[in-house]
Formats: sequence, structure tokens, C-alpha cells
Amino acid sequence: MLADIFINPFVDMFAAPDFLMQVLWEGLVSGILYALIALGFVLIFRSSRIFNFAQGIMVVFAALTLVGLHAYGVPAWISVALTLGVMFVLALTIERVVLRPLVGQPDIILFMATIGITLFLIGFGETIFGGENKVMISSELGIPTGDTVMEPFGGLLILQHLDITVVIVATLLVLALLAFLNYTQMGRAIRALGDDHQAALSVGISLQTIWVLVWFIAGIIALVTGIAWGARAGVSFALEVIAYKALPVLMLGGLESITGAIVGGLMIGMLEKLFEIYWGQPLLGGNTETWFAFVLALIVLLFRPQGLFGEKIIERV
Amino acid sequence: MRQMTKLALAAVVAGVTAGAAIAQELYAPNLAYRTGPFAATGIPLMNGQADYLSMLNARDGGVGGIPVNAEECETGYSTEKGVECYEKTKGKAIVTQPWSTGITLQVLPKTNVDEIPILAPGYGFSPMMDGKTFQWAFNAPSGYWDAADMIVQYLEGKDGDLSGKKIVHLHLDHPYGKEPLPVLEALAAAKGFELLPIPVGLKEMQNQSAQWLQIRRERPDYVIMWGWGAMNAGAITEAVKTKFNMENFIGVWWAGHDADLKLVGAEGKGYKSISWSFPNPDAPVMADIKKHVVDMGKSQSNPEEMSGVFYSRGIVISAILAEGITAAQDHFGTAEINASQLRWGLENINMTEERISELGLDGMVPPFSTSCANHTGNSGGWMLEWDGDKFVKVSDLLTPNTDGYADLVADKAAEYATSNAPWPMNEECSAES
Repeated sequence: MLADIFINPFVDMFAAPDFLMQVLWEGLVSGILYALIALGFVLIFRSSRIFNFAQGIMVVFAALTLVGLHAYGVPAWISVALTLGVMFVLALTIERVVLRPLVGQPDIILFMATIGITLFLIGFGETIFGGENKVMISSELGIPTGDTVMEPFGGLLILQHLDITVVIVATLLVLALLAFLNYTQMGRAIRALGDDHQAALSVGISLQTIWVLVWFIAGIIALVTGIAWGARAGVSFALEVIAYKALPVLMLGGLESITGAIVGGLMIGMLEKLFEIYWGQPLLGGNTETWFAFVLALIVLLFRPQGLFGEKIIERV
Repeated sequence: MRQMTKLALAAVVAGVTAGAAIAQELYAPNLAYRTGPFAATGIPLMNGQADYLSMLNARDGGVGGIPVNAEECETGYSTEKGVECYEKTKGKAIVTQPWSTGITLQVLPKTNVDEIPILAPGYGFSPMMDGKTFQWAFNAPSGYWDAADMIVQYLEGKDGDLSGKKIVHLHLDHPYGKEPLPVLEALAAAKGFELLPIPVGLKEMQNQSAQWLQIRRERPDYVIMWGWGAMNAGAITEAVKTKFNMENFIGVWWAGHDADLKLVGAEGKGYKSISWSFPNPDAPVMADIKKHVVDMGKSQSNPEEMSGVFYSRGIVISAILAEGITAAQDHFGTAEINASQLRWGLENINMTEERISELGLDGMVPPFSTSCANHTGNSGGWMLEWDGDKFVKVSDLLTPNTDGYADLVADKAAEYATSNAPWPMNEECSAES
């Protein structure tokens, strides 16, 4: 038993390094997508202290809008632009109709409001687009298909061109977001709001504008995530559950930390895959990915309650 | 006083009207799921069911002249919501259609008390075949244990001998996915193949890379799949991605949905699915549905969906219900049957080739019959194969070797009855009846 836990998995890794590389690659692809979804949560939380329960359904809504518009004959890239427009209108509407009237209310009220947004978008989305599985317009968007087969160490490593594209695009998006947050006036305003609401408001930062902006950014992230996951297994309301995979990422990385979202996403993506393949499947019958990330996050929280990169909150009485 | 008289009169009129309204329909609620992660597979089935009954209502005034009201109660495939829907609709229902193995297991004991038949065609708890124990439950025309047996038979026919082979059972980590395991385990022991169950969690349905990495590592000879909803699409795309030989990938009937295969198109060629239903666009029933439902603007379906396996299965499911109603109406000499009478009807269905043809369902369902002792019917099924564009039949009718697991059915039924004691048995029902 001890050998199965402490020795055999590592023997397996060294015996088939090509397979280990495949596991790590699959973990990296999942991880970067988790990181992307987690970023959507973090941005909104930092600027408004709202835990956006609707992030998952926004992924579905964005992907369905894109596919739906294309089905009406709109060219692929124009559909992307129009979908971004729809996500902007959605952000604007949420700010005006849901968030603005609730300014100053306890956080839990705002959280409940995002559950309301989720339920509304589910109903609205199903009414407009139906619940059927739809094919993502990957080829129309120029997303490469096919794969590159390599033979490292005399073995087999398959890299899907779709996955390579996803990794590149998601990385670029993360870098662009970091640049936006660090080097632009609006980005600094978002960070300022996250650091100190009152101080930010006192220097003239507009809460309404920032809220619209962060919800729009969350919409962009939702669209990219929806395209990436939709291209893998179709566009349906099942995509919503993907977003819940970001919850342990937030617990691990810290709800306020952009770095935490990125590092946490990558860590969970790769570690859960390694654990599942080398420990979960041989010892526990598999399907450990459903709980591994949460257990890992809980262990981290035991030692760092604010998460790996979260800010320690000190409240003086 | 005058006001009181008016009120009393109004109450009487309302009562008579309501009574008449209730009497003029057969209420057969459907615990449907058109929303949530499983909607993609639920919608074509529900559309097929609804369109067939709408056609009967429009063409024949219902069944035996009484319209069938198959009102849908949305569950989203959630077991909790399913139970709520059952409770909400059971008052005047003559049947309940739970539409999930999880919901079926939950309402199974309740239907004994409420005396409402469960109609779960091709799903639910496999020992429901034992009509003496499960007098209110029906899973005709074929159950999951039949499916497991037929798939193994097919593989045997292809390979000759399964001894020493490795077969992966890729399944949804849900009661439905685990349902065939007892028979698969028994068949593995009897035929000498290695069975490797690989579960897929509900949150992992669209990201099955870990499961397919395990399949790559284990190098199985075959993968059989008990998948549903988004899991099917996830598995099929991963199989293509990892270059698994699709010829060796076989799903149960709920994993044979055209839309899931269209995601991979030609790359999915060779994928198979055992099925007790098959679309036949030239069947007379399709023309009737077009005339009485589609052309009247009453259908929620579309031509592409209507040509698929799942829509046609929805039609067959409603036809089974209608046959049960007809049998009960004929036997009891009344068109307005109750739940108890429908129970009798459902266990006296006799779908011969002639009857199937009479119903206009030619080629869409194999012949089968139910009895007091056998609530499954064990119709058997065809092996379907994806040709890159649609499913085609690649086998003659396969029939399950029910003798091979008759003892298992009896044991599991007895085990269920014991653990849910006191469990009422249908003592009038002998094993041969």
C-alpha cells in the first residue's frame, strides 16, 4: 500500500515520460482555462466585493450568442464583434438594473442578486437559443483543427492544435489583462477600488463606470472560455458547470488576487490531473477530479486562510 | 339568500364543468427535462413523445376517443426536482414517466403506495423486469441488463472469444451509469474478459481528458459507454482526439444521439450504439405527425431533429404508453381508464410485427410483449453505427440472453423488497404468467 502511494506512481512517471508529458499538457490546458474563469471572478470581486455567481452562465450565454448569430447568417468574426456588443449591453444592464439600486447593501444581498442574474440568463438563454447542443464555429473562426504527433523518449505525445491555440490565446488574454490593470488609468482605477473603496471614490473614480467595465471584461473572458470549451465538446448549458471548477482556484489563490487566480488555476489544473492519473485511478477508482481541487484548497486554507496570494485582513477592534 | 343561491349554483356548475373536464382526458404527466446540462439529449426525446400524442389527439381524438394530456413538469434531470414533480402531478395521473434512473429509484416505493404505474422505457432499475415484485414499474421494451448482454454478444460475434480481452465501462457517475455493472461483472467472470469501470463525474462531463488518458494507458480492446447529456459529446470528442479506434467504441441507447456525433462528423465513423428504436422517415406514422402536428404548427421540433434516433425513440415511447392504454381500455370496456387499469394494460402489451405495422411504426421498434411476470419485454435491439452523417443499422436484431441473468434479476428484486420491507408483492402473478 505504501509503495502504491510513495513509490509506484513515480516509477510509472519515469517509465513512461511521454505519458507524463501528455498528462502535464492536458493539465496545463485545463489549468489555463480555470485561471481564465477565475480571473473573471477576481476582477468583479476586487472592484465591487461581489462574488459573481453568474460567471458560469455568462460563459454559456456568450457562446450561445456567438453560435446563434452565426446560425442567422452573420459572418463569424462579425458574430464575435456583435457578441462582444451583447456582453457590453449585458454589463450595462446589470449595472443599471441590478447593482446600482443595491449600492450600500450587505455583500450577501449582492451575491444573491448574481444568483438572480444566473436564473434570468438561464431562462432567457433557453428561450432564445433552446437547450440543444450546438457546434462551435471553430473552423469559421480559423481555429486550427488536427494535431501534432511527437515521439519524445520513443513514446507518443499528441498536441491538439485547438489546445495549443487555447493556451496561446488564453495566455495573451491574461497578459493583456495584466497590462491593462497595471498600465492604464482605468486598470489602476479598478485596482484602487479593490484596495480602498472610499478612498477611490473620494478621488473621483466612478463606481458605475468601473462596474460596467469589470462586468464587460468578465463577459470577454466568458466569450473566450466559451469558445475554448465549446470547441472541445459543443455548446450547451452543461458548459455552466465548468465555471464551478474555478471555485477551488479562488480558494487556493485568494479571491482578490490576480496572481493567485493565474497560479491557482495552473496548479489545480496540473495537480488534479497528476493525482487522478497516478494516484486516483489506481488507488481510488478514479473520478477524483471532482473533489481533489477542493481538498487541496482546504489544506492550503488551514495554513493560509486568505489563500496563497490573498491579502491578510486585519481588523482592529 | 338570493346571493347564497347564486353561489351554490355557481359551485355546482363549476363542479360539473371541472368534473367533465377531468373525465375528458387521460392525464399522463411527463417529468421532462428541456433545461440544464442534459437538455441537449432530453429535448428531441420529449419532442418525439409530445408530437406522437398530439398526432393521436388530432387524428383519433386521443386514445379510444379520449385525449391524452402528457403535461410536462420540468426536472432539469435533477432527482430532487423530479420527486417534487411526481408529488405535484400524482393526484390525477394514470401513469408517471420519471425520465431518469435516479428519479425512478426515488419514486419507486412511492408508486406502490400511490398505486400509479411508472413507465420508464429503456431506463430505470433493471430488476423492474420482475413484475411480481415491481408490480407498478415498467421498463419495456428493453432494460440496461439487456443492453449490456447484447453489447457483449455483439463483441463476441465480432471477435469470437472475449477471453483475455480488456473492456472499459466508461460511465456517468450516477445510478444510471452504474446500473449495468452487475451483469457486466457476471459476464466478465463467465467469459474471461477484464472489466475496467471508469466513472465520469457530472462536473467532468465536458473535460474527460483524465478518463481518456487512463484509456490510453490501459489500452483496452473495447470501450462501452453508459453516457448521457453532455457526457456523450465529451467522450466522443476525446475519443477522436486520442485517436481511439471508433470501431471499438460502443454506447448504450442513450449514448447514440445524432447531435453528439455531428460534433465530430466523419471522424466519428465506426462509433456504435445498441438501440431498441430506429428512425424511419418513410414510416406512415411520420407522415401522420407531419400532417396533423408539424403542418399545423404544433411541433417544437425541426426536420433535422425529426430524422434522428432520439426523436423517433420519443415516438416509440409514447406509442408504448398508448398501447398500454388501448389494452386497458379493451380489457375493462371503458375509455376512461384509471391508474390501476393502466397498470394491467402495461403488463399486457403485445407489439407484434403486425401491430407495429398497424400503428405505422414499421422498422422503428422490434416486436415485444409484456406480462404480469415480465415488465421489460426484452425486445432486443439493433447495433447502429455512425457513418459520418447518420446512424445506420449494422446488425440484425440482437436478442438478450435473459436466462443468463434471470437469477440476478430475482436476487436483486428480492434484495430490494427485503431492504424496503414491508414491500407488497403481486401474489397473483406467477413466474410463467
